[in-house]
Amino acid sequence: MRYPVDTIARTILLLCAVQVVIVILGVFLFLGLKAFNVFGQGATITGFLFDTHWDPMGLGSADGIPAFGAGGLILGSLVITLGSVLIATPLSIGLALFLTDVSSPVLQKIFRPILEVFTGVPSVVIGFYGLVVVVPLLQALVGNLTGNHVTAGYGWGAAIIVLVIMILPTITSISIDALRAVPGSVREASLALGATRWQMMMTTVVPAAAAGLATAVVLGMARAIGETLAVSLVLAGHRVPSWDQPLFNIFFQPNVNITQYIAIDFGESYGAGRDAYFTLAFVLLLTSFIFVVVSRRLSSKKAYL
Amino acid sequence: MNTIRTHARHRGHLSNALGIGLLWTIASIVALLFLGIIAYIMWEGVQYLFDPVFYGTREYGIGRELFNTLYLLILSQVLLLPIALGAAIYLTEYARTRALVDAIHFAAETLASVPSLVLGLFGVLIFVSYFGLGTSRIAGALALVCLNLPFALRLFENAITAVPHELREGAYALGATTWHTIWTIVLPSALPDIVTTTILTSNRVIGESAVLLFTMGLFSPANSLTLDWSLPGATLTTHLYNVTGPGAGTTGLSMHQEMIVTAGSAALLITVILLFNIFARVIGHAVSKSLAAE
Repeated sequence: MRYPVDTIARTILLLCAVQVVIVILGVFLFLGLKAFNVFGQGATITGFLFDTHWDPMGLGSADGIPAFGAGGLILGSLVITLGSVLIATPLSIGLALFLTDVSSPVLQKIFRPILEVFTGVPSVVIGFYGLVVVVPLLQALVGNLTGNHVTAGYGWGAAIIVLVIMILPTITSISIDALRAVPGSVREASLALGATRWQMMMTTVVPAAAAGLATAVVLGMARAIGETLAVSLVLAGHRVPSWDQPLFNIFFQPNVNITQYIAIDFGESYGAGRDAYFTLAFVLLLTSFIFVVVSRRLSSKKAYL
Repeated sequence: MNTIRTHARHRGHLSNALGIGLLWTIASIVALLFLGIIAYIMWEGVQYLFDPVFYGTREYGIGRELFNTLYLLILSQVLLLPIALGAAIYLTEYARTRALVDAIHFAAETLASVPSLVLGLFGVLIFVSYFGLGTSRIAGALALVCLNLPFALRLFENAITAVPHELREGAYALGATTWHTIWTIVLPSALPDIVTTTILTSNRVIGESAVLLFTMGLFSPANSLTLDWSLPGATLTTHLYNVTGPGAGTTGLSMHQEMIVTAGSAALLITVILLFNIFARVIGHAVSKSLAAE
């Protein structure tokens, strides 16, 4: 530090490191400033969260009065996120347990690369797969039961399947790390006391890794709620569906969520209507921030360090 | 007494067999699902990868989108890598206060969790409008840098912390300054991992789409094959999205041509990602071998 080159290097590198902080503060500041504009133009917070009439540009009404009810979009995001996490969690943790405690090293050598490659598959490619495989399959299976065969197959059901495919590798690889962090001595102690392999996993390994496994699920949720293109392609809705039909129909007919609406309509919006999309983005931003805080909380509670 | 014990043991073995069987079933289903998806996409699209028109700019050619993807890859990596590496060096080698390191790590973790689409809208506010860059390649590249920064930072930090501490101590003992030690000892030792990180972030640039929807647009103009960074344009992924989804039927392509574009692009993306993964793995192996030799 006594040498000028060292001081210069140190300063430049510090500036690089501070970039991260600047960017995240910028994201919260800029989106936050825009997000509240809409509440000065006729929207109320309860109306935004719970009403289901979304038309921020006022295109649907004769005198151009906008409607800011994002309830239907928020509900869509919640349903597909929770649905996909409920299905993906047992599969991912099962797969992670299989890889850490059951399979042979040879199988692990085959599986790990598949998992890594799959984490890198672009979301739009999964969306394409969903559109050409999952949607027609669902249409063939449940099309006649939903009343409208032509549009059947799109919607929450297809979105949940696509999201399961996308978050499975994420949850699995974080779960594997959590299970690996449980010391071998814990496993040995359990086996030495006469537990079978399955009892060892269920009564010792999984409880010991619980915090890490929960972190994996929360991070999977964070990925699911922000996922855009794949979900947008298979939701394919243009308005919130009417609620006076069986729940089954709602699941397998075109529907909407937050990201899908932003992806499709943000480009053509302007002025006050555009601000409403920034409000939606801010809702996503806050939700994923909450997920981060929760996952940090969880990962600080480790049973074995 | 004896029978009870046998019973208990028997039940234990039954549940064990069932449980392990369940895990095998899950693993097989997931493996088949993943391999099935990759095989399906390759099977549908691989035939178009040998068609020269596919790579051109006429008819259903994706030449412009391919060029945009490569352009974006180079531009965003040139911006990203120095910043991310610099930040990683600071955090691992220079930073003395725990609070600062923690704050930056928290910021990075938060940034990593921001959905791609939300960062895209942030990019519209700041790069497209505030800095007046318009819907352009440079705006797209800057938004991508924000998206990849926390990811690259974490990988670079891992790469640098993996360099054995004795090497640094040796350099310091010989009177080297911190910067001299980093430049001549730490970075060369971490080089293979740094290359691997570069490949992994490239992978993300090629596959990324949501952040580019509104920062770079969905339309590639006729003069796309130039180096002008103020041009808008679609990449392979956003073009695939547009042709499959919102733009279907409006792109002037016949349905068959749309299918060639989408199935071909999907297969091309998978191919590139497979190649990158193999490449990263080969380098990783070379590293562990050279370490084992030491």
